[in-house]
Amino acid sequence: MNGIGSEMWLALVTCFAAIFTQNILLTTFLGMCPFTSVSREVKTAAGLGAAVVFVMTFTTALNYLAYKHVLLPLELEFFRFILFIIIIAAFVQFVEMVIDRYSPKLYQNLGIFLPLITVNCAILGASLFMVIREYTFIQTIGYGFGAGVGWLLAILAMAGIRTRLNESRVPEGLRGPGITLIIAGMMALAFIGFTGVLS
Amino acid sequence: MKNKPFFAVVYMFIVTAFFSSILILFAQLTRERVEANKQLAFEKAVLAVFPETAGVEKKNIHTVFVEQFTEDKTSGAWLWKPSGKLSGYAVPIEGKGFWASIKGIVGVTIDRQTITGIAFYEQSETPGLGARIVEPDFCGQFVDRKIAAGDSPIGIKPPSETLKDNQVHAITGATQTCVRLEILMNDGLKQWQQSMSNGGPQQ
Amino acid sequence: MSPQPAKPMKDLVADGLWRDNPIFRQVLGICSTLAVTNVVLNTVVMCTSLTLVTAISCMTVSLLRHWTPRNIRMMVQTLIIAFYVIIVDLILKAYWPEMSRNLGPYVGLIITNCIIMGRCEAFAGSNPPAPSFVDGLFSGLGYSLILVAISVVRELLGMGTILGFAMPYFSSDLWDKWVIMVMPPGAFFTLACMIWLCRSIKKKEAKS
Repeated sequence: MNGIGSEMWLALVTCFAAIFTQNILLTTFLGMCPFTSVSREVKTAAGLGAAVVFVMTFTTALNYLAYKHVLLPLELEFFRFILFIIIIAAFVQFVEMVIDRYSPKLYQNLGIFLPLITVNCAILGASLFMVIREYTFIQTIGYGFGAGVGWLLAILAMAGIRTRLNESRVPEGLRGPGITLIIAGMMALAFIGFTGVLS
Repeated sequence: MKNKPFFAVVYMFIVTAFFSSILILFAQLTRERVEANKQLAFEKAVLAVFPETAGVEKKNIHTVFVEQFTEDKTSGAWLWKPSGKLSGYAVPIEGKGFWASIKGIVGVTIDRQTITGIAFYEQSETPGLGARIVEPDFCGQFVDRKIAAGDSPIGIKPPSETLKDNQVHAITGATQTCVRLEILMNDGLKQWQQSMSNGGPQQ
Repeated sequence: MSPQPAKPMKDLVADGLWRDNPIFRQVLGICSTLAVTNVVLNTVVMCTSLTLVTAISCMTVSLLRHWTPRNIRMMVQTLIIAFYVIIVDLILKAYWPEMSRNLGPYVGLIITNCIIMGRCEAFAGSNPPAPSFVDGLFSGLGYSLILVAISVVRELLGMGTILGFAMPYFSSDLWDKWVIMVMPPGAFFTLACMIWLCRSIKKKEAKS
């Protein structure tokens, strides 16, 4: 019992660390492409973010199982890049089909973001980090969820700031991606403040 | 024929099989080398913790390692016997860093009071920040530091603090790595001390 | 995705390096590499790998373009890219273990780099192998140019060194090292300034 309890606690810590101190976007720069292009409106940002949380949690878990129980016994660790991508693509396709069939309303809101996710480097990145950090299964779930929530948080904050920014006078060359990156830098600076809260 | 569904499947299958077989072949070819690299990195780290063996040329590392070091099965440390006489301990340390595991070696004098050096052979800390633990600027600080009795044999303190004789300065900007390193070093050293007090190795 | 008619090689070079430079035109593909730009050496190795993978993948995609069914072309492209990335990863592991450890998972992340996919889709899929190779090579080089520039700024201001060598002034006591430059926020700020600079130069060019 105690073993499970401490494992759950570890997973919780991993989850919070992934959201704040090791935010996948602000410290490892993964998922930058959609971050700069889809962060113009809060609503779309929230949709994409929610889809990322969902897909990331499940694909890291699936990839963990595939890595531990298929690739490692076969000594084909180097194959993980290909296998992870296939699993992610297949999962996204599957979810798209299910949502389309059972909840057309959700599909309208979330569906358009799903294909975008397959090429989101944060999703593959989370799976690769999970392998490198040698997490246990429960920790992996905590990590996948936390990394997704961290990404959601960052893109939501960015979208909120950017809608305000429409009104302000930004130097011409800095408009668009330039100012987005500066704001991201400031957010990263703020997130460094979380270091030490969790160790 | 190009647009029939079965062609797509067959095509995908052929392409995957073709590329995969090349990869498997390639991985087989490099596997031995990768293993050898790992072993060499370990041996190099063991030699690096004693000033006398630290400067050994790359091609001689393996011979020197085999000649002068033997593993002590009970404590897990490597015994350094340059001319048949026990002259120091190379204590392996291992644990979770900020990213992945950090593995290293701590060199300890024969009286078990002083550190002779420290080296790492496996780490994936942030390049330019945590990864600088392998640099001489950081590792060099440990040379001749004392091992304190009690719960924390060594300490890694922020650069602003004045140091006791068992402490070193952390790397600015790599707080996370240094906190974890302190924990794993202390755990490794304490564990070794414990196994030594239960009857050390025979000289 | 309009199929370009045969362009002279010279144009491909200029497009990749400056006119259509993927980074400050669309801010694409920085994800996998930005994280290692705090040390110049890591950046150079990472960018070399990326450029080679882009060029060779584009060539392979182009060679297979007549046989690949349209509906599965993305999967085939991903597979080809992944294949070369794994080879790079294995070579680094076997012959340069220290570097392989430094770059960690970032080598693998080259697979999801939008630039490679983008070049395969936009150019290699409808052009012969030789121009595709050149196109991939110079898109990769244009990308590398900016990232290496970023890494030089970051390493110099943050650690006072370039390629590990101490620089005069910057590594002395006169220069208070900006540790923040080696940390993640420094990457965002440097990249933003770089984009600002390039866009301003472009505007001037367009005016004159």
